[in-house]
Amino acid sequence: MHDNIRNLLNAYLDGELHGTRLLEVKMHLASCETCREELKTLRQVLNLLHDTPTPAFLPVERFVANLTLNLPRRTLADRPPKPGSPVWWLVPAVLMAAWFFAKTVFTLTSVVTAANTAGLLENVSWLNSEQQWLWISMAQTVFGIETETHPLLSTLNEVSVFGINWFNGFLWQAAIVLLYWGWLTVWWIRRRPRPLPVTLHR
Amino acid sequence: MALNQSAETEQRLIEQAQNGDRSAYGELVRRHYSGVVNVVYRLCGDAHLAEDMAQETFLRAWVHLPTFQPQSSLRNWLYRIAVNASLDVLRREHEAPVEDEKMQWLRDQAPGPEAALIQKEQALLIQQAINALPEAARSVLVLREYGELSYQEIAAVLDIPIGTVMSRLNYARNRLREVLQAQILQPEYDYA
Repeated sequence: MHDNIRNLLNAYLDGELHGTRLLEVKMHLASCETCREELKTLRQVLNLLHDTPTPAFLPVERFVANLTLNLPRRTLADRPPKPGSPVWWLVPAVLMAAWFFAKTVFTLTSVVTAANTAGLLENVSWLNSEQQWLWISMAQTVFGIETETHPLLSTLNEVSVFGINWFNGFLWQAAIVLLYWGWLTVWWIRRRPRPLPVTLHR
Repeated sequence: MALNQSAETEQRLIEQAQNGDRSAYGELVRRHYSGVVNVVYRLCGDAHLAEDMAQETFLRAWVHLPTFQPQSSLRNWLYRIAVNASLDVLRREHEAPVEDEKMQWLRDQAPGPEAALIQKEQALLIQQAINALPEAARSVLVLREYGELSYQEIAAVLDIPIGTVMSRLNYARNRLREVLQAQILQPEYDYA
């Protein structure tokens, strides 16, 4: 008990205890002579520290005058760019525009692919993707059969095209999201107060 | 009200100084010189070195001022620089905060009344006891007693948990008590 309270006596003296801990120390002090003595001694030490005189330092005006003479020139490069400047907001704006563009392109592609699969665009031969032709050629080479007559290969072909389209779309969006996060991180780091470039001794 | 005005003025001065206004920075230095030089003196124990360290502190602060967030406490920021600058120098000087000859200002005072002489002797002993503390405990003690920072502020300045502040402060004060009890503390010495 004594040890616990003793560890709190300094905080008690400094007014840094609150709530139940403060009450606990007060109640203990009321009943414990040893801890009261300990507190008294600590108070004496603090009084000694505060009463110790300091030497006469350089007058402040002289100090300021000397300091001003030694202040180095600041360059514009020392100033961090303001977070609200147009350049900072241009980066996410461009990224968002790129994201919208990619999203639109992939949505349209999906729509066209679906329409083509449903047979709505049968007469428009240029809409067939290269991947489809590749699958067909491979199937013809390996199996020597017509894909239109083989339902398994036809399904595999569609799954493959869908997978590639989906993966490409995902890759684009992930890249844009990463870039945006990167920008946010840089913005946040520059916005926060930077620690001084000196080591902190502990 | 006056406190708010003073804080607003300081904010304005900081913004002006961040834009390169040297006279605004001079005004900020006037406001914080006393606190900084006192803290540095208690860390190193030498008046001339403390003035040099205070100058180093304000020079570093000037260079890094554009990155300072005006919403934060300038005093605490300056103390952080001051502690680092002082300990850098002390480390370069092989962890010898004060040589005896560097405390001549205490000894060279013309002998006055007995009480004044005793006080000077006490001041010498106390500064030596502070100097004998490990730098981690000394920094916490000095920021608390001479920088008048709260535990929370000390934790922020030194970038350590508040529990560490408490344990280092306990250690420092207990050490001081042990050293000073035999030499200075007497039952009748109590101002409280």
